[in-house]
Amino acid sequence: MAIIKRFLIIFLCVVSFSLAFAGTVSAASVLYNDTIEMGNGYQINNYVIDVTDVFVDANSVSFYVYHRDKEVKDILISRGDSFEFDIDDGGKVKVILNSVVGSVIPRASVSIVLTDYDFRDLHKNELVQGGHRSATFAGTPELKIIKSVDEESINVGDIVRVRVTVENVGDDRATEVLFNEPQQPRFILYDTLVSDPGKTTMDIGESKTPFVYELKATDEGTFELAPTTATFTNDAGQRFPQAASNSPTIIVGPSESLVSADLEFITTFDKHTVSRNERITGTMLIKNEGTAPATGVTVNIIVPDGMRFEGGSGVEQISGVPTIYQETFGIQQQREFSFVLRPTEVGTYTVSTQHSYSFDNGVDQDLQQVSSDDVSRNIRVTEGKYDYLFEQPLYVYLIPLLIIGAVIGWIYYRHKQYKF
Amino acid sequence: MLNILIVGNGQCGNRILDAINKEAFGKKSRFAKFYSQQKYKSNVQTIAINTAVNDLREMKFTKAKDRVHIPHLHGVGANRNVGKHVFEDNKTHIMRKIEERGDFDVCFVITSASGGTGSSFTPMIIQELKEKYDFPVYALVVLPFREEGTLYLQNAAFCLRDMRESGVDGIILADNQFLKQMGGNVESAYNGINDMIARRLLFLLDALDSEMMMVTDLGDFKTVMSGGAGIATIGFYEAETDIPVRTAIQKALSPSGLLFSSNVHEEASRAMIIIRGDRERLSIDEISTEVENLSSAVGHVFKGIIVRNGELPQVLAVLTLESASELETLYSIAVDAIKHEREKKERVASEKEVDRAFSKIDGMDPSY
Ligand SMILES: Nc1nc2c(ncn2[C@@H]2O[C@H](COP(=O)(O)OP(=O)(O)OP(=O)(O)O)[C@@H](O)[C@H]2O)c(=O)[nH]1
Ligand SMILES: [Mg+2]
Repeated sequence: MAIIKRFLIIFLCVVSFSLAFAGTVSAASVLYNDTIEMGNGYQINNYVIDVTDVFVDANSVSFYVYHRDKEVKDILISRGDSFEFDIDDGGKVKVILNSVVGSVIPRASVSIVLTDYDFRDLHKNELVQGGHRSATFAGTPELKIIKSVDEESINVGDIVRVRVTVENVGDDRATEVLFNEPQQPRFILYDTLVSDPGKTTMDIGESKTPFVYELKATDEGTFELAPTTATFTNDAGQRFPQAASNSPTIIVGPSESLVSADLEFITTFDKHTVSRNERITGTMLIKNEGTAPATGVTVNIIVPDGMRFEGGSGVEQISGVPTIYQETFGIQQQREFSFVLRPTEVGTYTVSTQHSYSFDNGVDQDLQQVSSDDVSRNIRVTEGKYDYLFEQPLYVYLIPLLIIGAVIGWIYYRHKQYKF
Repeated sequence: MLNILIVGNGQCGNRILDAINKEAFGKKSRFAKFYSQQKYKSNVQTIAINTAVNDLREMKFTKAKDRVHIPHLHGVGANRNVGKHVFEDNKTHIMRKIEERGDFDVCFVITSASGGTGSSFTPMIIQELKEKYDFPVYALVVLPFREEGTLYLQNAAFCLRDMRESGVDGIILADNQFLKQMGGNVESAYNGINDMIARRLLFLLDALDSEMMMVTDLGDFKTVMSGGAGIATIGFYEAETDIPVRTAIQKALSPSGLLFSSNVHEEASRAMIIIRGDRERLSIDEISTEVENLSSAVGHVFKGIIVRNGELPQVLAVLTLESASELETLYSIAVDAIKHEREKKERVASEKEVDRAFSKIDGMDPSY
């Protein structure tokens, strides 16, 4: 018993499964079984069955069948008779006139049966007041997307302009149109001239240019641009497979336009032997010998212990380090900065400088960083002329100071004494 | 060591006092007070008194505490009567200022005879001093230029009389008129005169407090000053080249050496001669001859000799006068001046000429 019962359940499952998922329904199904007033019609997708005339006395009805606006069949049948016509994708519609009902507006009682049709494609299945003239039809929009480039053969660093146009070559309006423009590897987006319109609609025959942009080639080679795709629906809300554009090919040759900034930093001092506390003037000459302007030019002057930075033109102290900073430095530009150092201790010194700058090589997206450093010739600091003064013991100063103080005090005292 | 008080009254007295203080610094620089000390041998106290604060302010070598201002506008305008009033009103204050300085052996009061303040204050101060103290008080009085005006001459005459009555122990005269030969402008002439007076007085003070070969001291000075008519003057000569001491003595007694013009041999009654210099240069013979020469004419002559190695001869002579023809001349001019002043005053009082002119339009109105 139990075995039979289980078998039965499996069998029923299989049957219902195949009923639910079978691609086409070969079995007939009744779409409509009721009366239709004369002058009205019944729409199945883009087909309309108009009840044109009802002859109550003759128990007959005249039917006209339209595909959109085009008549495909006209027939007069009597009660109990039927007629058939084909719709798209192999579907067959059978209309049976069951009876004729006489009233103010006479009606035909019909059964409409559809066979051999995938019901998922049945987007319209209803009565239409007024017949085919009042029916709305759904069509198939078709988007033709063309991606074009202004040049097919360029060099690294060059710019190519990409234009995407689209035309609705279908027979219905495209709605909910969404474009997808993929990123292009090996290129960088240089400029966007026309940007994604977002969700849009396209009438039959309408053209649009949803994207115009410029790409800069970064690598050599032959590359296919990834296609532009679009998703859309027709007026009736039916989805269609996404449309895709062509993939133009671009051949990128080796770069001709790679540029670079080339800065030269030359430090000189007005003398290399100084006595203590005497000032020396350093000059930093910066020249751009390259083919591109430099940006963020920074020079740090590393003043050794035993020397003091006393100031300079265009030299600023940034967290204690004398620094020259230039936002930009043009091609062939040349500038001089001077700074004053004062040695406070006897000895031999060098002054080092750290330089850095960046530039745009015209190809890469990122700026190129350059840094270098330099060490000056030796600077010898000798005893100052009056240095021995500072090496005397304190009393040497104190005594004259005391004497001067006493003299001033005495003069003041006398002045007071004689001041009337 | 002697305690000496020097009081300078009025502008003239103040300025001479300042000259003395300057001379005491020895150096000629106006900054001497900042690096030098005064070289008084004795304990010398100086006091400057004036009604005019500007005169006091202009003093350079006298200590501020030595300057006593008696507020009365700007001086008393050569009016001795006003001066006497102001003194009376400030007597206690002035006398206290003197008293504060301690006790003295001798006092000199310096003034002009012809101004308002000094000439009126001085006799009154002397009178107060003589009443209160025992020490001798001598007045050094400067006579005006004769052409300075009738008011000054009048003041001089009355001042000298008041001075005699004050009980002063002697009046040493200095005459601006006689010293006019100094030349230069008024300012430098005054300074020259003041320096001369200062140098003589300092020399005298120095001598009175020095060891001398032949004794002259304060006692001798008193004796000399008490002789004659109570009027004295000082003669001085300082050799600039190596000259015989005889010549120096003669020059000191000659008109150019004296502060007040007088014929020494005829008018002097007592004298004191102090000779200073290098021992080699002071020939006793010469000195004796000259002193004898003088004493044969005048009477007693005190002499003192101070030996200072390396110094050229310097001679100071203090002479009291029996008579002073120059002073008589001054008085006779003064009498004329007094008469003249009185007549003018009366004339102005009676006639009031200007008033009469105004009275011509009495009761009239201007018509336009
Ligand atoms: N030798 C000399 N005489 C002076 C000096 N200053 C003024 N005199 C004379 O003094 C007289 C005027 O007296 P002053 O001392 O100026 O008068 P005062 O005592 O200040 O009195 P008032 O100014 O009237 O209050 C005049 O005869 C001047 O020639 C001076 O510095 N040296
Ligand atoms: Mg005066």
